Amino acid sequence: MIWKTIKVNFHRLGSPPTFYRLAEVLAPWLWGGFAVCAAIGLYQALYVVPPDYQQSDSFRILYIHVPSAWQAMAGYVVMTILAVIALVWRIRTVEIMAMAGAPIGAAFTFICLATGSLWGRPMWGTWWAWDARLTSMLVLLFIYLGIMGLYAAFEDRRKGARVACILILVGIVNIPIIHFSVEWWTTLHQGATIRLFSGESTLHESMMPPLVWMTIAVKLMFGAALLDRARNDLLDQDRRKGWVQSRLGETA
Amino acid sequence: MIPDFEYAFYVWTSYGIFAAVIAWQFIQPQLRKRRIEAEVREERALQTGSYE
Amino acid sequence: MIVRSMSALIARDLRLAIRHGGESLMPLIFLFSVIILIPLGVGPGPNLLAAIAPGMIWVAALLASLLALENLFRPDLDDGTLEQWWVGQCPAGALVVARLFSHWLITAVPVIVFAPLAAQMLYLPAEALPVLVLSLLIGTPILSLVGGLAAALTLGTNRGSVLLSILVFPLIVPVLIFATGAVSAAADGMSARAHLGLLGALLILAITLVPLATSAALRLNIE
Repeated sequence: MIWKTIKVNFHRLGSPPTFYRLAEVLAPWLWGGFAVCAAIGLYQALYVVPPDYQQSDSFRILYIHVPSAWQAMAGYVVMTILAVIALVWRIRTVEIMAMAGAPIGAAFTFICLATGSLWGRPMWGTWWAWDARLTSMLVLLFIYLGIMGLYAAFEDRRKGARVACILILVGIVNIPIIHFSVEWWTTLHQGATIRLFSGESTLHESMMPPLVWMTIAVKLMFGAALLDRARNDLLDQDRRKGWVQSRLGETA
Repeated sequence: MIPDFEYAFYVWTSYGIFAAVIAWQFIQPQLRKRRIEAEVREERALQTGSYE
Repeated sequence: MIVRSMSALIARDLRLAIRHGGESLMPLIFLFSVIILIPLGVGPGPNLLAAIAPGMIWVAALLASLLALENLFRPDLDDGTLEQWWVGQCPAGALVVARLFSHWLITAVPVIVFAPLAAQMLYLPAEALPVLVLSLLIGTPILSLVGGLAAALTLGTNRGSVLLSILVFPLIVPVLIFATGAVSAAADGMSARAHLGLLGALLILAITLVPLATSAALRLNIE
């Protein structure tokens, strides 16, 4: 009985107007949650946590660099799950959500690369190193851009979304291989590789709370931005449909 | 008020990039939504001939 | 039945390539223009040239493979042949594999045949030549497979060529690393077996998975 209710409600989510309304209600709460968590995290990261004894204040970059890197990868996993659902059950709202994840994931990959570069300059003395993590992050950025480009290149939005979903699946098989091969390559070619996170596992307890807050904040933000973008895509594609027309009729 | 950091340039630029990208992720969908809604309204006004 | 359809398709593709003449020479022209231009660019020092030779030959093979991708499925889509692949009795996946095989024969085999000569022009040590040829033999089919997937994905778009290279580049990184790693190891007098083994593993993975994805992408594009 309960199972049936859940199932019916889940299927209702596949209907654009229902999804749109849910996203409209949910997104502001997620943005709000992001703002609260980020405020706490940033305050702790910038004011409470003492400077590192080796890296001084530059280690504070960790609090945005690491959550962004995690989210760049977690975002891809989310997109993969959505892509599988979209390809198997052909639910249009899920296709749109999978596509909405790509620009956000690309944004986090970009933050990760940019802040990593800004961290590397004072610590290693160079903006860029052909380190395994850096290189695979750069490749991930290109995969994200490829997905966005492929989706945008189709005139038929649905077809574009499905084809790009196949690319997402191909990418998830490849990302571990790329990471592994690049790691091998750097250890082969460079001898002593600069390790970005040599201190990560030994991070002192007093340094942990801001990292946790920022990670939660970034996850909430991903969800909020995903819903916002998916909502816009629905609105754009369904602009001639009745539900959009009547919605705008009410608000106008 | 603003903490005085060593390596201040690198720290603040990093946080600045983060803030800018997040803000863009927030603002861009809002702008796009407004644009689509304006287009839909205009299209309807053209069809019905009633400009409110 | 399946084998006959596949060999008919391969024979047709080869005949077309030979009759087009100039186009089938493109991979070789590409290989040798890279080989001639590089020493002019970086200087004729034998040590430097020998060090970059594996990478250069591999990049030439990659570019040669990319060149022919745009027209891998497009003419067949335009004249409606592609749809027949799904209508006929032969499974479409087999025809996809046949098409990729003929792409490999046309773009990769000439490069493999002339790679030892090119490598000699770049002073690659002679003992690395067998490994170079072997790495090309194992690695270039992966290029064709991945390239074919990218071609299938971009088939429904009208600005495929730029997208194609963006899609191929990240997927091809591991192949390039292991293949050039094998040749460099052999040139330094070390064993290249680990690299070649990993390259072979990639090939097996690609052969099993990529035709599935390619067929799915083609199918979506002709819907």
